[in-house]
Amino acid sequence: MMRLGWWLIRAQLLARRSATALSMLAIALGVALGYAIHLINDAALADFSRAMKAVQGEPDVVIAPRDGAGHIPLALVDQLSRDAAVAVLAPVIETRVRIGDTPLLARLIGLDPFSAALLMPTLLPDQAADAMGSLLDGAVFASPALAEKVGADATLMRGAARWQARIGGELAAVPAGEKLLVADIAWVQAHFGPRDGVGEIRIRLSPGMPLAAWRAAWAPRLPAGIELRAAEDNQARVSNISRAYRVNLNVLAMVALLTGAFLVFATQLTAVAQRSTQFALLGVLGLPPRLRLLQVLVEGLAIGVPGSLLGLLLGCGLAVGFTRVAGGDLGGGFFSPATPVIVPQLLPTAGFFALGCLASLLGALYPAWLNRIQPLAQALKTGFAQGQARGGGHARGRDALLILALAVGALALARVPAIADLPLGGYAAIALLLMLGIVCAPLATRALFGAVARARLPAPLKIAVQNILQAPLMAQVAASGLIVSFALTVSMVTMVASFRTALDQWLDAVLPAPLYMRSKAVPLPAELLADLARADSPFQRVERMAASSFSLDPQRPTVALLVREIDRRDPGAQLPFTGAVADVAPGGIPVWISEAMQQVHGIAVGQRLRLPLLGREIEVTVSGVWRDYARQFGAVVMTADDYLALGGRFEATDLALWPRPGQEAAAQTWLRGAATRHGVEATASGEIRELSLSIFDKSFAITHALEAAAMLIGLFGLAVTLAASVGLRARELAMLAALGFDRAMLGRAVVFEGALVTCVGLALGLAAGIAVGAILTHVVNPQAFHWRMPLAVPWPPLLAVAAATLAAGMLASGIAARRATRLPAAQVLASAQ
Amino acid sequence: MRRRAFLALPPALLAGAVLAAPTFAPVRRDTRLAFPRDHGAHPGYRTEWWYVTGALDAPRANIGFQLTFFRSRSGRAEELVSPLAATQVMFAHAALTLPGERLLHAERSARPGLGAGYSVADCGLHVGPWSMARDDGAGGERLRLAAATPDFGFAFELAPTQPLLLQGEHGWSQKGPRPEFASHYLSWPQLEVSGSLRLDGSPRPARGRAWFDHEWSSAVLAPGAVGWDWIGINLDDGGALMAFRIRDAGGGTVHAGAMLRDATGRQTRFGPEAVSFRPLRRWRSPRNGADYPVEEEILVGPHRLRTRPVLDDQEIGAHRPLPVAYWEGLVTLEGGLRGRGYQELAGYAAPLRV
Repeated sequence: MMRLGWWLIRAQLLARRSATALSMLAIALGVALGYAIHLINDAALADFSRAMKAVQGEPDVVIAPRDGAGHIPLALVDQLSRDAAVAVLAPVIETRVRIGDTPLLARLIGLDPFSAALLMPTLLPDQAADAMGSLLDGAVFASPALAEKVGADATLMRGAARWQARIGGELAAVPAGEKLLVADIAWVQAHFGPRDGVGEIRIRLSPGMPLAAWRAAWAPRLPAGIELRAAEDNQARVSNISRAYRVNLNVLAMVALLTGAFLVFATQLTAVAQRSTQFALLGVLGLPPRLRLLQVLVEGLAIGVPGSLLGLLLGCGLAVGFTRVAGGDLGGGFFSPATPVIVPQLLPTAGFFALGCLASLLGALYPAWLNRIQPLAQALKTGFAQGQARGGGHARGRDALLILALAVGALALARVPAIADLPLGGYAAIALLLMLGIVCAPLATRALFGAVARARLPAPLKIAVQNILQAPLMAQVAASGLIVSFALTVSMVTMVASFRTALDQWLDAVLPAPLYMRSKAVPLPAELLADLARADSPFQRVERMAASSFSLDPQRPTVALLVREIDRRDPGAQLPFTGAVADVAPGGIPVWISEAMQQVHGIAVGQRLRLPLLGREIEVTVSGVWRDYARQFGAVVMTADDYLALGGRFEATDLALWPRPGQEAAAQTWLRGAATRHGVEATASGEIRELSLSIFDKSFAITHALEAAAMLIGLFGLAVTLAASVGLRARELAMLAALGFDRAMLGRAVVFEGALVTCVGLALGLAAGIAVGAILTHVVNPQAFHWRMPLAVPWPPLLAVAAATLAAGMLASGIAARRATRLPAAQVLASAQ
Repeated sequence: MRRRAFLALPPALLAGAVLAAPTFAPVRRDTRLAFPRDHGAHPGYRTEWWYVTGALDAPRANIGFQLTFFRSRSGRAEELVSPLAATQVMFAHAALTLPGERLLHAERSARPGLGAGYSVADCGLHVGPWSMARDDGAGGERLRLAAATPDFGFAFELAPTQPLLLQGEHGWSQKGPRPEFASHYLSWPQLEVSGSLRLDGSPRPARGRAWFDHEWSSAVLAPGAVGWDWIGINLDDGGALMAFRIRDAGGGTVHAGAMLRDATGRQTRFGPEAVSFRPLRRWRSPRNGADYPVEEEILVGPHRLRTRPVLDDQEIGAHRPLPVAYWEGLVTLEGGLRGRGYQELAGYAAPLRV
């Protein structure tokens, strides 16, 4: 029996080489994609935490101010240090500085060598006594990446503060690529602040001290502006940063896998149909129905196992190649561009393998069942029984009910809010919509072919149409594959196009000035600001902004704080609001929050918030919500006047500049000179715009690859099923030929039929695709990324793809027809007897 | 004296003075000490330490303990205007001798303001949660000690039974052949110890006798000196004996001295000519090969004495701020005077540079 099974599998694989190979490839693609995403992300996260460990050590707890302007008062340091549960207390002041008048930016870490030796030894120079002493004496040590670029002395600058520092040596143990400087904490404090405090405290608890208990004891004693982050909070924060993006990519991989499953389905279905006579014979000879079912399932696995293995290899290769070329970024921009090391782990690898096999089994399930229930006698005589067209009002009513249920379900799921920050409802709605498309196929096929059949047509065409109307299964299968793949393509194209259009409009709104200058996370040099303020500068207006961040939740990414020179009475002039702007009572502090902030934290206009600013909690009122595609985790805008009134320091990091009329060229030259001199970035708004759009395009490049893959799979599926359905009718075609139809007439009939089937697939695919696209733009994007945008359907590319698909479908039918009618009709008819 | 490993630090931390050239306060022979002010820190001087060593009778006999705080004016960052400037650095050592078993040791370091602190008005010290402080409570004057490590921990209350013992001339203690090598040095022998000791997880009541030393100086070892031998013994009859010698590379004595206060409170000071040390039995460290004279014959004036350690291996390997090994442990004193106390043997693992 085993031998028979094996023989059947071999025969099946050999007979349907291209279809089998294709199914394998599709499975492989799905597995590879998912696996590669997993590997890359895993490696990037590991890389990130390695770098973090090297720089931060592995503290159990970090106590840090919740915003950039806050600090840890020395009294709190003293209190904490006296706690017997604290084994190591490492105070740190970290800031970003510009090195001299160069574009070099570095993290300057002020540490206490006594505690750093226990917690962050990689940040200390060699334990040689003189290095330790010179550290205390104010020498600055540089990581390898910086050591080669700085000399014996370096001016470290931040805003108006500067420090003429002596470089003491190199920090050999710091990972390559990290640009950092290490100095004694006191020297950093003396030059860059904070006054009477430190930046943060990293704590290692005594062995045996439970973190939760310690946290519970200390958290309520900390001032409002200071938070306590456990190590796992940091991990959660890091993982949260890219989570939505990863899940989205994985869902795409899942889609590829499902398409693979569908291809297996199509292949196995045609295989079952084409071998129905053989199976019937075996059945008559005593092969039990159970084994007939099993045989088809095993054949499915025979596609799935090599496909999955190939997928794992491909995925691994893809991951390695991708990280070599682009780093561990996945196009999302979340991690450093360093090349992480890909290390496959057993369990996830096995998981992805199983997933591939599962997909192939899933695809083989229905054909296997069909094979089991074949009526033997009829199959022996006339071949595959497709099951009669389920005519009659009853079945049609059931279909209609199912369609209604699916549509209502999809609508309801689309309204479900994010679960665990993931748009799970949206994904489920998408799955229902795709099913809806497939369920509509029989109805649409009947409707279309019925309408066509009533029309006045040449005889061969009419016969072809009638044929489909009577036995629609193969046509429906062919159409279904196309529905799914075209729907996915349409939805992705629609979503990306909507996003791009919205981004384009948004860029117009947020880049009103012709020129911009910025300095990453470091205040702009004071000299530069002074030069700009001079009467002979070629600018008529300069608008300043100071960007920093604060933490609302230790497990979530930080929220951006943008302090801007905004007119309280007319904020709409400078911010792209999405709705009404509420007035704030005099004396209140208005803030304008981004859509992401509104959604992540569920904040409404007019609501009062307590924000952790300047080391304390400050009550503000939300006056409006503006669109922001730049900061996924939320942003809050406050006027510079309010920030100054609260006691903050307004140190600009970004400038928008308007040249005097007629001096545009001079202004550009002036700005480029200043940028080079001070090591800051100067760009024209057009460049920013181009750059933003190119970043956008890059980050969505992977979706284009997926679209292409989905379309290819769909097309191949279409070709395979069309060919199979034509092949099944070889006898019928021969009969028609014997009746006097010539090959060209028969070919036209088959092509016409193929075109109709393709049209059904395309039409339903387009409808489902636009619906899915709407869910992606209106549900998935806002829930996963907190970006809202209007739906924009890009008709020209969609119609072009549809036309190409139609042509391909017709071509595939034509080829199938040629094959089916290649043999002389008499021979076909004779052999069929 | 009490020089410890601490003085043996390579010039890095302690003698950064050369660069910044801070002016350290000199030790003056005519200084008269006043209390509680002089229990507090003297940050103008280069180095200072507060040492408590003792022997417990409960929970077990002859458990030795010490808790020590060092303050070092590093000579670094003297010009820097910052509340965090590391002009001063503090180190603390805690050790426990389990007779017949082993010595447990732990150390901490921090700068004042960032995990450490000292008072200039009275004895009030901490490095992390380890602390040593004096107070005048309802029960009278007390020194309180607290230290905890994963292996052991203690919280002791030390009650004086005798007045302070000012070493040398009114607390001016000469350390070398020439008077510029000297320190301010005071001891507090026969302190009654009560409190709790944690070993193997659970704290148990403890009692015993301790010896307190407080010493500060800016100029320490004379040229040519490589190490020293020192004892501080609570005598069984209520008396107290301190004796030291400073050795050169050949094992010869560069300088020596001793102070005996008998049970009646009569103090006798002995000069270099009246004090000598002679090794009787040596113990070789398996870690670094240092040959420590763990039993010594000590002649102090008319008294012929010998030391016997409760455990041979009482070598301490300190790592902070830099690795250095020395022997410091609980011994019993036999011969003409009998008692228990601490002996220190420094400079045997490697010559100490100052």
